[in-house]
Amino acid sequence: MNDRRIALVPPRYGPDVVGGAELVLREVAHGLTARGWQVDVLTTCARDHHTWANHYPAATTDDAGVTVKRFAVVDDTPGTARADLVRTMTLGEAPTLAQQEAWMNDGLRVPDLFHEILDHAEEYRAIVVSPYLFWTSFAGGLIAPERTIVRPCLHDEPEARFELFEPLVTGVAKLWLNTEPEADLLDEIWPAHAPAEIIGEGIPVPGSYDPSGFRRRHGLTDRPFVLYAGRREGAKNWDALLDGFVAAIRKEDLDLDLVTFGVGEVHVPPDVEGRIVDLGLLTDRDKDDAFAAASAYLQPSAMESFSRTVMEAWLAGTPVIANAASAVVAWHCDRSGAGLTYDDTTELEQCLRFIAEAPAEAAALAVPGRQYVLDHYTWPATLDRMEASLEAMP
Amino acid sequence: MSPASPTTGSGTVAGPRSGQRILVVTPYPPVRDGIGAYAVQQVRSLRRQGHDVEVVSPWPSAAHHHLALEGPKGAKALKKLMAGFDRVIVHFHPDVFYANPSTPTSRISTGTALASAFRAGPPVEIRLHEIDRRWASATEQVEASSRGGFVATQVFEQAARASRSVFKAADEITVHVPEHQRMMIDSFGVDPGRVRVVDHGEDFTRRVPDDQAAARASLGLPAEGHVFVCIGFIQPHKGFDRAATAFRGLSDDGASLHIVGSVRLDDPSAVDHQRELEALAAQIPSVHLHLGFVSDEAFDRWIVAADTIVLPYRHIWSSSVAERARLYRRPVIATRVGGLADQIGEHPENTVVDDNAGLARAMAAAVGREGAATRPISTWEFDGPVDRSAVQAEVHRRAAAQRGIKVKTGSAAEGSGAGRVRPGAVPEHVATPLRRLRAVPPPPATSARPGVSTVKRLIRRVIAWEVDPLREQLIDLQRASVKAAETTDARLDEVTDELDER
Repeated sequence: MNDRRIALVPPRYGPDVVGGAELVLREVAHGLTARGWQVDVLTTCARDHHTWANHYPAATTDDAGVTVKRFAVVDDTPGTARADLVRTMTLGEAPTLAQQEAWMNDGLRVPDLFHEILDHAEEYRAIVVSPYLFWTSFAGGLIAPERTIVRPCLHDEPEARFELFEPLVTGVAKLWLNTEPEADLLDEIWPAHAPAEIIGEGIPVPGSYDPSGFRRRHGLTDRPFVLYAGRREGAKNWDALLDGFVAAIRKEDLDLDLVTFGVGEVHVPPDVEGRIVDLGLLTDRDKDDAFAAASAYLQPSAMESFSRTVMEAWLAGTPVIANAASAVVAWHCDRSGAGLTYDDTTELEQCLRFIAEAPAEAAALAVPGRQYVLDHYTWPATLDRMEASLEAMP
Repeated sequence: MSPASPTTGSGTVAGPRSGQRILVVTPYPPVRDGIGAYAVQQVRSLRRQGHDVEVVSPWPSAAHHHLALEGPKGAKALKKLMAGFDRVIVHFHPDVFYANPSTPTSRISTGTALASAFRAGPPVEIRLHEIDRRWASATEQVEASSRGGFVATQVFEQAARASRSVFKAADEITVHVPEHQRMMIDSFGVDPGRVRVVDHGEDFTRRVPDDQAAARASLGLPAEGHVFVCIGFIQPHKGFDRAATAFRGLSDDGASLHIVGSVRLDDPSAVDHQRELEALAAQIPSVHLHLGFVSDEAFDRWIVAADTIVLPYRHIWSSSVAERARLYRRPVIATRVGGLADQIGEHPENTVVDDNAGLARAMAAAVGREGAATRPISTWEFDGPVDRSAVQAEVHRRAAAQRGIKVKTGSAAEGSGAGRVRPGAVPEHVATPLRRLRAVPPPPATSARPGVSTVKRLIRRVIAWEVDPLREQLIDLQRASVKAAETTDARLDEVTDELDER
């Protein structure tokens, strides 16, 4: 075994993959490679987490010094076990272990990835799987538990309590957590969990921002706007955010637009078409500038284990308006003092009014946010913690 | 080579030449399954020997293929898949290939199709995990059945022939203990040169360091004191209740018994057995029940934490637990069932017992109790004269505990005043009429008229989707009613006691 060789096992990987956990593992791969670790990424050929279609070839490639081994997704089951489990949970019943096992295997599976780990597990100092909910983590994380680190990205969701996951949470070498609230949730759900360390994650700090250039490049006027970035889908509460925003601007006295970028379809009601702008996918440079140009960043998701975009907004000096149902983001907002939270659409409307009607105060609100990120979530400090944790592995 | 000598290595007698394309047929991870956990270790070993190994499992898993392997259709699909491989290793358990429960006719059709598949394709090794010896003998099947007569005998003879043909069709049968080797040769008529005993643990590797103190600390067990462990799926045939009963009194020596495993909630008998174990753990000091999913790594930690592994099985074919105990050199106490005696008997630190009394003696000896009792300590003690009503009351109480009804803690044997039986305390039992109801059976698909049974079975299959849920609901309702009534009985007992005390 090479003492400084590790495997990272994300369900998807690549510069064009949208997803916080996947993005972080890519930065970890590059960061540890730069520090002299030999990093293999063992992942699927998929780019889209809705279809799991094999987009990339099954092959070994190099990504700036990181060895990327891709394995074909097999998705040949009818989905009846998944539907069965949803039906059971809808009735308020707890699914049996057999139902949970069938659910886990009724979707994407990657047998060649499983056997790659089976064949070569002992060659790695550690095998890091993330996030917990995916087949790649579940099947891959139990092959060599003594050298497996699970980075669960735990949310307070029903699946987190499935008996199925107990071995993954209790039987592996370590858990890498993002925040203290995630640790609290872990203690609550799985008190007998494996040793856990709060590693956090890092946010790259842009050298400069060009908000005017961003507006110019995308044909935006000087009208103030709020921003949402990421997956536009139900799991992220995007629909609820859109409904809340539309309800607020229909009162016709709220001087704010909504700009959004990321993946997923955006269905704008015809009467507010000009007020909501979908930019699709952006380059990294454009993303940074979008955060700087926005009057506020909106985080509607109730299931965040870290919320990278919130940090990016604060680095850019932009205040955050977040769903209070996300314990982690509410904790960040409270701890930094740079964000507001809402519990319902009325509170969301009031937050939006604050941004629109008191721009100077809103900008002042954001000030401590940047220092909060620099104090806690930069890559050098995060990689230091990861390296210390890896060095402590047998 | 002696027929009884285990061989090592994951290959065949001569060992497959390297670089072969091998198909392994087995349940497989991440679905939790004992055979799957065994097979994945073999797959790893074969791949590391340079073979190109693919796996087919009976349901979706990390295997390369999944096929519904049950019945003649499953055998035909397997036959098709086998083409193109140099060799096939079939991890054989009847539940994977046969309808469960199987009928003689299903054994004829499935057995014939499986034998055909095994004969037609590449060389097949059957690694035998379980088979009912009676399947090889028409006489034994007739004896075990309620049916008789010329036609039935003919059908059973055909079923036996088909079952034997499955194993005769394979190029090699590998078994874990000599008893099964003898069974294959004597009962199933397999050529002795084609049955080989392999070491059950040949591909097993350690998953945790052999550090007992660390393992105990991680599991929250005390550092001192003799630790007995029963581990595996919680099922009645595992007999963990026998170990709990045999353990009575050993807590005085600082010992503890830990029953570790998960319950398949979709198996009603396992759920009932869980309740029985919970009741025993509540009654017997230092018996602990640890229910939940046990990972492979946690499984090994329990083995390492133990001083003695107890396998009090009522029925078993062979035991992976015994092999993992051997891997860490932990002594085993096991009952003489299936191939267990053969499997563990050769190790001097292990003990094979024949009955509950032997189990109690062996466990007492393990904690160093001098002059261990020749029979288990009696658990029947009574305050005052023993009369029928006292005994009857205790019988009711214990039966209720066994059915999982919360009963007063402390058995009659433990000497606590609260637990001792008071003569004359036989209550009127609300639950009795309910308990006497028979569980609703499926509509009988039998008839004396030729061919009608088949039609009835067909109808039964067609209407099963409608009838089975109703039947299950009735059984659940009956079970819940019994439990509710017995809980009421127990509460009435308590109230009666309270009134008497006043």
